[in-house]
Amino acid sequence: MEYVNPEGIREDGRRPLEMRHLHAEIGTVARADGSAVFEMGNTKVIAAVYGPREVQNRSQQLNDQALVRCEYTMPNFSTGDRMRKPKGDRRSTEISLVIRQTMEACILTHLMPRSQIDIYVQVLSADGGTRSACINAATLALADAGIPMRDLVTSCSAGYLNSTPLLDLSYFEDSAGGPDVTVGILPKLDKVTLLQMDARLPIDIFEIVVQLATEGCKAVANYIHEVLLENTKQLEYRRGL
Amino acid sequence: MVGLSAGEKHFIQGGIAQDLRADGRKRLNYRPIYVETGVIPQADGSAKVKMGATEVIASVKLDLARPNPSQPGKGKVSLFVSCSATAGPMFEGRGSEELSTELSVALQRCLLGGKSGAGAAFDPSCLSIVDGKLCWDAYIDGLVVSADGNLLDALGAAIKAALTNTRVPVANVPAGASLDEDPDVDLSSQETTRIDTSGVPVIVTLTKVGRHYIVDATSEEESQMSSAVSVSINKERRICGLTKRGGAGLDPSIILDMISVASHVSEQLMNKLDSEIAAAEADEQDT
Repeated sequence: MEYVNPEGIREDGRRPLEMRHLHAEIGTVARADGSAVFEMGNTKVIAAVYGPREVQNRSQQLNDQALVRCEYTMPNFSTGDRMRKPKGDRRSTEISLVIRQTMEACILTHLMPRSQIDIYVQVLSADGGTRSACINAATLALADAGIPMRDLVTSCSAGYLNSTPLLDLSYFEDSAGGPDVTVGILPKLDKVTLLQMDARLPIDIFEIVVQLATEGCKAVANYIHEVLLENTKQLEYRRGL
Repeated sequence: MVGLSAGEKHFIQGGIAQDLRADGRKRLNYRPIYVETGVIPQADGSAKVKMGATEVIASVKLDLARPNPSQPGKGKVSLFVSCSATAGPMFEGRGSEELSTELSVALQRCLLGGKSGAGAAFDPSCLSIVDGKLCWDAYIDGLVVSADGNLLDALGAAIKAALTNTRVPVANVPAGASLDEDPDVDLSSQETTRIDTSGVPVIVTLTKVGRHYIVDATSEEESQMSSAVSVSINKERRICGLTKRGGAGLDPSIILDMISVASHVSEQLMNKLDSEIAAAEADEQDT
């Protein structure tokens, strides 16, 4: 099966080191404290943040830091075939956990003891890279909610098919069964907070693919910076500054 | 939702009594309605509708299936609504089940028609491919992304827009193919047909607060309601469905009055929706 044709073009017309088109909007869910929609190609994800607020379940309250909770859901229409059980299946639980741990690492939780921050991520359309799109959307939503963070968290995936490292896999490329590496970084601090891989890779190729994914994360970080800057300008403009 | 103080409640009720609601609208005015179609690339038809801060998405997906033996010339239609946790922490986990079921059932009643298929919003025979052997099953899914009152009206509008946006692929079954097992259906021709949505009704919800009714209530106004009547009306001003919510008893004459007010409002809503949907479709064609 050919994923990169002899001229070096992938199935959706991109070059191997090219990311899909990024698009983000902030503040889409008016009732949430912070919200964002993030698109990577055809993968579209909406994130809403509620908090910091009072802890609902007293037994889970932490006295020295905030409690971060996350729920990831995919509606039945978001993938090619209609899914039967949108909530609570094992993949959703795993991804909720991954997102929670990634965001918890960068939120300054010690500033908000005995409180709770809820991050809800809803996939609207899935075409590969949903994990990364969710983390990027969650970062934007947390920034929109004004929750103090060490740094933005950005995420991107990369793979290796037909002996070529590929950036930002689509669903078609992801389902090829080749390696799929998802990386999440704190761009300014230059630290990795998330690293997941499935399938097999020789170690030297692994380094190349991780490096590629990290470059992708940095490109996403630049884009997110621009979006946040534009949003702040809009807010200043509306306040008459 | 944050609770309302006694002063705020009084303000809302008083405003409605004086035909001047908290956001400046009159009792029978809708919030600005914004429609966008084709928002879900993998779906055969989809639409997003925003009414103020209420945002809902509807999608239509078509799957090949066998038709019901009692209705061989028609496809099957099913409808489900779910509430995303992004609309609020109360919808987390299984919290949305009750509201989702209530909305699903109300919409099914208005749009799907009776057991014989009569009275459905659109004619399911357009989904049939080979009589008695092969048809399209339409799965209509609604998703509430942000909730600020009036979910039923917004979902009705989104489903109407999504159905208008749906392109049914033209399936060619080779002549003489055996249709008792899975037939080889040729979907390679890129032609599509559209569904005739001129008969799809709109839903108008009238919320009774005090002695007056309002249209398109925000969630704060809904918290003050005594009862609400949702009427589904089509282009010919005929009632396609009726639901009453809320515990307060209503005099039958009041219900009849609410129905006539809803019927009057539905005409404006239908025209507004039709023009918004046409504009959204035109926008989608351009991009």
